Amino acid sequence: MFRFRLDGSSGVPPYLQLVHQVRQSLLLGYLREGDRLPTVKDVAGDLAINPNTVVKAYRQLEHEGLAGGRPGQGTFITATSSPALPEAQQALRESLEEWLRAAEEAGLSSEEITALIAVARHDLKKEKVS
Amino acid sequence: MTQNDAGDSPLALRTDHLGRRYGRVWGLRDCTLEVPAGAIVGLVGPNGAGKTTLLEMIIGLLQPTEGQLSVFGETLHAPMTARLARVGYVAQDHPLYRDFSVADMFHLGRSMNPSWDQELAQARMEALDIPLKRKVKALSGGQRAQVSLSMALAKRAPLLVLDEPVSSLDPVARLEFMREVMATAAESGLTVLIASHVVSELERFCDWLIVLTGGQVQLAGSADDLIAEHQVLTVPRATLDADLPGFPVHRTDSDRHSTVLVRTEQGRPVAREHPGWQADPVGFEQLIMAYLQRPSRSAAKDDTAQAAARPGPSTKAVSR
Amino acid sequence: MIWVSWRQHRGQAISCLAVLAALAVYAILLGTSMRTAFGHDALTACLAHSQGTVCPAAVHAFTDRFGSEVNIAFWSVTLIVPGLIGVLVGGSLIARELEYGTWRLAWSQTVPRARWLAVKLALVTGGLIVLGAAMTAVITWYRAPMDRLTGHLEHNIFDFEGLVLTAYILCAFGFAVLAGLLLRRSIPAMVAAFIPWLAIRLVIEFVFRDHFLAPLTATVNCTQETCGEGIGFVPQATGRIGDLVLSIQGNVVTYQPADRFWTFQFIEAGIFVALTAAALGATIWLLHRRAA
Repeated sequence: MFRFRLDGSSGVPPYLQLVHQVRQSLLLGYLREGDRLPTVKDVAGDLAINPNTVVKAYRQLEHEGLAGGRPGQGTFITATSSPALPEAQQALRESLEEWLRAAEEAGLSSEEITALIAVARHDLKKEKVS
Repeated sequence: MTQNDAGDSPLALRTDHLGRRYGRVWGLRDCTLEVPAGAIVGLVGPNGAGKTTLLEMIIGLLQPTEGQLSVFGETLHAPMTARLARVGYVAQDHPLYRDFSVADMFHLGRSMNPSWDQELAQARMEALDIPLKRKVKALSGGQRAQVSLSMALAKRAPLLVLDEPVSSLDPVARLEFMREVMATAAESGLTVLIASHVVSELERFCDWLIVLTGGQVQLAGSADDLIAEHQVLTVPRATLDADLPGFPVHRTDSDRHSTVLVRTEQGRPVAREHPGWQADPVGFEQLIMAYLQRPSRSAAKDDTAQAAARPGPSTKAVSR
Repeated sequence: MIWVSWRQHRGQAISCLAVLAALAVYAILLGTSMRTAFGHDALTACLAHSQGTVCPAAVHAFTDRFGSEVNIAFWSVTLIVPGLIGVLVGGSLIARELEYGTWRLAWSQTVPRARWLAVKLALVTGGLIVLGAAMTAVITWYRAPMDRLTGHLEHNIFDFEGLVLTAYILCAFGFAVLAGLLLRRSIPAMVAAFIPWLAIRLVIEFVFRDHFLAPLTATVNCTQETCGEGIGFVPQATGRIGDLVLSIQGNVVTYQPADRFWTFQFIEAGIFVALTAAALGATIWLLHRRAA
């Protein structure tokens, strides 16, 4: 059975953590199409979390098309994830790696890089709004 | 599975200007709440805020001085037996009779509760490896907590009240305890009311919140709705409270900017209305802490407090 | 709820049975030897004909031999034993629940606290009545030979026969239950109940008992020095075994006749039972009112 984890101190809402873990596992191949996700009761009892959180996470996964519920049987993975990224993402990935190398060479620490990205995204959002 | 469609499911708890006075002091005042069935509610507040008073009135251990209360439809006028049957209770420190064996405790449960489910109680002891013949005084703290919990669950009441259930337990026992609670809630749609003054642990358990300080309800509602109704605004220092949208809950001033938690209607596009400002969603713990830190209001009503009481369109609860 | 009350007081019940058993052992040993001596000394025949005046030597031999139980230390202890039993059982009945916080468990089950208390009180009171009756029966049995010589209106004997022993226990119990509710702690409740119980007990015995009904007077042919041996001896100055002589002035004896034993028992027991009812009634009412 697939088992979830919960990081109580991460600041990420629990239901999102569950969603991320499913997405991550799909990408890494640990979850495959047709696998059954644990029941709400199992997850709630395993992680000691509100069962509604699990319901929300499973609904989100359904919304994203990654999983689907079969009445009376449980929730099953419906998506296949291809290990290969589409071309556009591949190109972006390469330019990102180049930029990261440049940033490191310029002497930015890991936190500074993250902060820089956050500020840039924020400014871009403001630009779009105004 | 728990469902929170507050429109159709019955109310687990309903209070109307509920209050309790101890001599001259009001332990709880003006408490008006509606909690739907199936919710897992975090009742938060500092010690002495009125949590125990509210819980004891809900359970039937204490009578209100004023106001109305009903638990799954049983009002204050219902016979005591009916009221007591609605609530399973685990008190702080999990009191049990030390000379009794676990089997004796369950016999007590059977003897005093017509709805007692002996098989459930025994099954839980088996699953947890706690021998029925063992005396309570020979159990560990975590095991005693589990026995207390089993007694409350075997009563098969629709509402479970936990008063600081894990504060005296070690981390492993805590996890085991809450696992049982959450698994049971998942299976039976149990409504759970957890009183705690440890805020950091509540997010994973609770989808409903009640914040109490100074005997007054500061905030009440479904966690999702409350978070959607609040935003953390970063604004220039000079901005006045009156210029802020919605109702300011908590403000921190720095040299050049201020951070303000405001309560508005859900989804209000503050950033679009005020380009120079930044609007971020509020975190669960952050929200609770902000309300806990507000100075507690006196019993006299005032206008700003009534402004805060304005509920969002989708919240069922009224908070004052 | 009956099972719960029983289980919670099971330990106390066993202790009380042990006390009763010890008393019974003592009583059987002493009572048997008293009966043997009584028969041996042919006291039966002597009493039947002459109320003991004809065989003073045999009477004295008997009372000297078995009368040592009438010493102060022994009687002081036995004075307080019923009170101790009552407060030990009653003091913790409610107080222990309050002390240990188990009231939160006990009163949140599906039994309203008034019913919880009523069932408990009924069961425990019943048990104490049985205990009191058994103790009285045991003591009455072993004392029977001696009672034939002294009657049982005498202070130290009256306290242990008839109805009063049970009533003493119940009164101490009632006071202690009420004290437990008010003080919320077992040991202070036991102390706070025992003191007034003892005070009332002593006052009723030594101030009021002798005058429950107006005493009778009789003229006799002797004076204080010459009337047999005066108060408390066999036979009493009135010439009848069992009368309680209160005083002799000149030729006039003031006394309570032996046949008033049961009347006095009912009066004194009635006082203590009324006090018990008041204390327990107050407890039930207070508990009900606090819940409301």
